[in-house]
Amino acid sequence: MRDNVLRVGVGGPVGSGKTALIEALVPILIEQGHRPAVITNDIYTQEDAQHIRRTLDGVLPGDRVVGVETGACPHTAVRDDPTMNLAAGAEMLEKHPEVDVLFYESGGDNLTLTFSPALVDVFVFVLDTAEGEKMPRKRGPGITTSDLLVINKIDIARYVRTDLTVMESDAHRVRGDGPVALTDCLTGKGVDEVAAFLESRRKVMV
Amino acid sequence: MYRDTDAAPDEPGGQSPGTGVPGATDLDHLLVGLQLTDSAFPSGFYTLSHGLEGFVQEGAVDRDSLPLLLHDLLRHGVGPSDATALALAHRAAAAGDWEAVAAVDRRLHATKLSQEMRRAAARTGRQLLDLAAEVFGTDGVARYHREVTARRAPGTQAVAAGVVYAAAGVPVRQAVAADLFAFCASFAGAALRLRLTDHRLAQVLLRRTAPVIAETTCQALARGFEDLGSTTFTADVMSARHERAEARLFAS
Repeated sequence: MRDNVLRVGVGGPVGSGKTALIEALVPILIEQGHRPAVITNDIYTQEDAQHIRRTLDGVLPGDRVVGVETGACPHTAVRDDPTMNLAAGAEMLEKHPEVDVLFYESGGDNLTLTFSPALVDVFVFVLDTAEGEKMPRKRGPGITTSDLLVINKIDIARYVRTDLTVMESDAHRVRGDGPVALTDCLTGKGVDEVAAFLESRRKVMV
Repeated sequence: MYRDTDAAPDEPGGQSPGTGVPGATDLDHLLVGLQLTDSAFPSGFYTLSHGLEGFVQEGAVDRDSLPLLLHDLLRHGVGPSDATALALAHRAAAAGDWEAVAAVDRRLHATKLSQEMRRAAARTGRQLLDLAAEVFGTDGVARYHREVTARRAPGTQAVAAGVVYAAAGVPVRQAVAADLFAFCASFAGAALRLRLTDHRLAQVLLRRTAPVIAETTCQALARGFEDLGSTTFTADVMSARHERAEARLFAS
């Protein structure tokens, strides 16, 4: 793997907004002069890969998005045995040597999911307010030790009886100094902060 | 081959350098085989169903016919192709004939008809060489990995495994049997996730397949380069349909 490529792992429960976050981040990164590519780990279909291609049509060429099958084991594919993701990443960089940000989107999973440090440089974990106010208190390695915790869908918190202030303060409490970002990925609210965080990590690592 | 602990240490293979334990080399070969066939070894195999998901999607296999399908795939598919390639690559690598290793690699790759089978073999093979160069630290593995990285050879899984086993000094018969077992364990794991078996019957399946693994190993060792490659019409058609399927769990 070339060392000027920032590899970002995005994990989190099903439907929390992993795909939406990537779709919101990619145009910002391109605007900043970066050249992103995306590897999705769908559980059963190519749905995520196709969704990203459709949403980013005209922004990101379709061949910068590739789906990898995970044999029904999304956590294994990014943690215990990232063989197929490493291979897909290597093929992507071989075909498109200009790529300098590589997203790995995990298949929707439970709270125990983590990314192998051999696969990614930065691990972002995405929760959303509709999963319930208690989610940060449930902890799990993604919530407590990811490099960035994103709490998405802040716009609907009041409709799903989630007190965002409680959710945010709990998140800070279980994460110590670890950063937390509040987003509404569909309108782009808070996504600039996530992009700035990635840029700060790039400066440290690359 | 692996022998009991009281076997004479001066048999082929001899003792590992620097160890004074009788039979240490044989034990070391056994341990290499156990590590490479362990389902925790990051081989990428758990993402493959080795054609099984295609059969499931077409309704062409059920719980009763599962053992028969596995045995047929061993005898007529994997045996004449991957297992034979592993044996040929192992012998060529042990003799230092890297041109011959690459020729086996290219031929095996060419005989795999569907894109998903070629891609699965190349992705897992390249990553195995990359990893094994670090784990086993032998010149042969690193050398062949460079050939593959430079795209002078496809780096199929069976040939990569042959190179790794040869570099670790594991005898060819043991290497072929071990890799066939890894295939069967992976197939049984896929069957479990596809609801074609349960945790107990999967183990019964594996044990009852042992004689077929032994038979397939003997036949693979006897084949020459000209006989490398298999034609399995049904499995090839299933795989061709699978790679175009709208939804799938497995990469093959």
